[in-house]
Amino acid sequence: MIDVAALKAHAKSLLEKGSVRAVIGYRKSTAGLLAEPATIADADATDDLIFDPTCVQNLALYLVNDKKERVHSRSDDKRPIAVVAKGCDSRAITVLLQEKHFPRESVHVIGVSCEGTGVVDARKLAKKLDGKKALSVNFDGSEAFSITTEDGAQSIPAAEVMAERCLECRSAHPTLSDMTFGEAKSERALHAPFQAVKHKMKDEQDNRWAFWARQFDRCLRCYACRSVCPMCYCEECVVDSINFAVLPDTTADEKADRIKWIERSPARSETAMYHMVRAIHLAGRCVDCAECERVCPVNIPLRLLNTRLEMEAFETFEYNPGSDMNAPTLTSSFRDTDPNSFIR
Amino acid sequence: MTKTVAMEKMLNKADLAAWMGKLDSHRLFSPALEDEDVWNYMPVEEAAKVLLNHPNTVRPPKGFVFPQREVLYEYSQVPGEAPVLNETLPDPAPAVVFGVRPCDSRGLVRQDIVFTKEYEDPYYQGRRAKVIYVGQACNQPPSPNCFCMSVGGSPCAEDGLDVLMTELDGKYHVKALTPRGSELLAKGGELFKDAQAADKAAVEKAHASAKAHPQRPIKDLGKVAGALKANFDSPAWDEMAKACIGCGICTFLCPTCHCFDISDEVKCSSPCKGERVRTWDSCQFPDFTMHTSGHNPRETLGSRLRQRVCHKFLYFVENHDTQQCTGCGRCVSLCPVGIDIVSVVERLGQP
Amino acid sequence: MSQNAYLPKLGRIAAIKEEVAGARAIKTFRIEFVNGDGFEHDCGQCAMISVFGKGESMISIASAPHVKDYKQFSIMRTGRVTTALHDLNVGDVVGVRGPYGNKFPVKDWKGKNLIFIGGGCGLAPIWPVVQTAVNERRQFGNITVFYGGRSSRDIMYRNELEKLKGDVDVHLSIDAQEEGWDGYCGFVPANVMTKAPKADNAIAITCGPPIMIKYVIQNLKELGFEDDMIYTTIENKMKCGIGKCGRCNVGKDYVCVNGPVYSWAALKDLPQEY
Repeated sequence: MIDVAALKAHAKSLLEKGSVRAVIGYRKSTAGLLAEPATIADADATDDLIFDPTCVQNLALYLVNDKKERVHSRSDDKRPIAVVAKGCDSRAITVLLQEKHFPRESVHVIGVSCEGTGVVDARKLAKKLDGKKALSVNFDGSEAFSITTEDGAQSIPAAEVMAERCLECRSAHPTLSDMTFGEAKSERALHAPFQAVKHKMKDEQDNRWAFWARQFDRCLRCYACRSVCPMCYCEECVVDSINFAVLPDTTADEKADRIKWIERSPARSETAMYHMVRAIHLAGRCVDCAECERVCPVNIPLRLLNTRLEMEAFETFEYNPGSDMNAPTLTSSFRDTDPNSFIR
Repeated sequence: MTKTVAMEKMLNKADLAAWMGKLDSHRLFSPALEDEDVWNYMPVEEAAKVLLNHPNTVRPPKGFVFPQREVLYEYSQVPGEAPVLNETLPDPAPAVVFGVRPCDSRGLVRQDIVFTKEYEDPYYQGRRAKVIYVGQACNQPPSPNCFCMSVGGSPCAEDGLDVLMTELDGKYHVKALTPRGSELLAKGGELFKDAQAADKAAVEKAHASAKAHPQRPIKDLGKVAGALKANFDSPAWDEMAKACIGCGICTFLCPTCHCFDISDEVKCSSPCKGERVRTWDSCQFPDFTMHTSGHNPRETLGSRLRQRVCHKFLYFVENHDTQQCTGCGRCVSLCPVGIDIVSVVERLGQP
Repeated sequence: MSQNAYLPKLGRIAAIKEEVAGARAIKTFRIEFVNGDGFEHDCGQCAMISVFGKGESMISIASAPHVKDYKQFSIMRTGRVTTALHDLNVGDVVGVRGPYGNKFPVKDWKGKNLIFIGGGCGLAPIWPVVQTAVNERRQFGNITVFYGGRSSRDIMYRNELEKLKGDVDVHLSIDAQEEGWDGYCGFVPANVMTKAPKADNAIAITCGPPIMIKYVIQNLKELGFEDDMIYTTIENKMKCGIGKCGRCNVGKDYVCVNGPVYSWAALKDLPQEY
């Protein structure tokens, strides 16, 4: 069982010794059951840190944001930043390292185990509790969560209220870390990779298009899926209305000639284009943290788009994003045994 | 809208569908599941299936009068000639929206201020005149993050509504609040019975019990604006926005947020043909304020969180003497990282 | 106002004058309304200019209110819409809607000495005030114009400034020494200090790059100008022009409605989000 007190103590000692600039972790939120990301620079505040199945966010995002902020502020503090990372978060950090987004020594990874389960899906949980408000959720062995409501604590099979992605998770333990808390439970009873997308693909093509048309039609284009994705780190995105990377020597022509690939209108064509572009740019990079799907306020099952491409990467090239920071990325490498002949 | 003497009637729950049936001169909308777990205002297809005990809809009903995309006009221009503009003012068929929560109708009142003050917005006005709002008092809080009473509202507030319905045992208490509302009730004819003293007592009791549900308080609402002003330069803004991912959820789903973009959508480049459209925009997006030069007056997440909160609890108060937040709780519930406007106001809006 | 505020009127480009060439080119467009349309404006107000298929940009009206036959706009080529405008020719038709914003309180300044301080493209927004003051020359005291560009090639309204001499004290400057330049060399705020205009009964009106405005105001304060004797204009990204789209919102103000003209006394109270 994960020892949160030890996690806090580790974070505290890192900050007290001054060996990291800050610790990115989770703390309890005032907004509801789910934890909130917290960047803690004060050793005394490490007591706020938690880790339980409500810690859904992928904190690798904040490493990307931290880098942007540091470039902007021209900070010369070279110390690393510490980050609490679940299995999926650590895979995301690995991909960022593979892509040379930041050097390995700039991050101290505090790995945390999902104890053979995963994190909750707030919608599933709300349904399961049928109107009762969950006050806390804790790991309870490798197949259950202990959930407290005003009626007291109860043990619920994790699979019933767990996030879809956790049900399909291929490595619920950090693949990369400097210090790990909790048990590595690699043999998982819940293991079922690509189950959802395989199920969806059994459907007729016309039905699938009708399904996606319905999903895209209600997209708000709030871009939460893009904003929450640690891999969507482009300075400027195809959906942005203007150039972001404007320097003093950026010419009027460069700004004037910027192509508007996607209109702002939430029309089906534009929205479909947006989600397709995003999915394709994530091929071989998506670690299936499924944050895009979780944050969508209108419940678009975006994970299906990404896992479709990850399934292709896995089944065709045996590529598993985020498994090895020293391996070349999927799209920057080839093997003689790769299928198709175009490369030879 | 001028208020007449309120008309109070009773409607058997089973007769809701019959009443809807008599409103066939209007398009009818009610909250329904658009997809799994996604409550939205949907066209009423089968009146008998309409239930008015829904949780908060994901989107507020603001799109009826301020749609996410509005074509302002079409343009076409043959090279060397003058452009031809074709104004596309909306002229929608009249509509009745059922199940509007009082926080959302109070949001509408705030939108009215924005779109009709000084310069009238003919697109908004054109739609607004055609939509009748039938409210639904919240006997139970429709969201765990409701805080309407902390911002001057209530689960049975009437502002912005044409009709307010309150569910009682087997019946609805239906109160017409405007002439349009009265007309709507008149169409129901004898489906409606006059509310008796006992009914009025029952509805008062229901409203009192609705108001008794605990909500998250905002202390000294009257002092929040001044405190926010005093705390404008507080480093806490950056700190609280640290987790912000910069998406548009909080603003797009807010019943009062009204910011928009205007852009040209080109259908054909020669001859030049297209539409000038306005689409929802968000002060939380970094490109919202960025100048062509690259200078961005609100470059940081902290400054953008401050803009959202101060616009609702300071600037709008200075300009219109009321908060631009009606406590629906959507921005709190749906924020992916738990940024909570009540907590922010608690921290920086208290003297 | 009952008409559709979003619908532009059509205006024909009657003349184009190249003010400044190069990467940051400035052209002055004289636009005459067609179809008998049009509107009157006050000093300091702006208008939205449309190039259909590209978009709209808020531009300050550079001609004086007493000029009724046309409106003039001096526009730097800097983004999508302004580049499209620079590519247009005389005779082409654009959209113009407005006027937007508040105004310089020129009427309140009668009998006062006026000191204009401009830099780069920033002469355009205050030019209508210069023109109005010269047109009603006897109503005002001394009129002084400080204006500077990066180099002599960046000086806009060259001929117009020449014509002012006699009615107006004109002090031009360029940032660095050039052969044949007989004016001041150095930055605009420094030029102001060397001439040290008196604050008595005076109003200073300044517009230019933010960094210039910052030092101009600092210097004016040193010369004894009170906060309410200094006027400037600010700009922000704008889309609607009528205080609804929220883009130019700063504090409780919408720059398109409550601005762009501010006294330093008023501007000091506004959050620095412009």
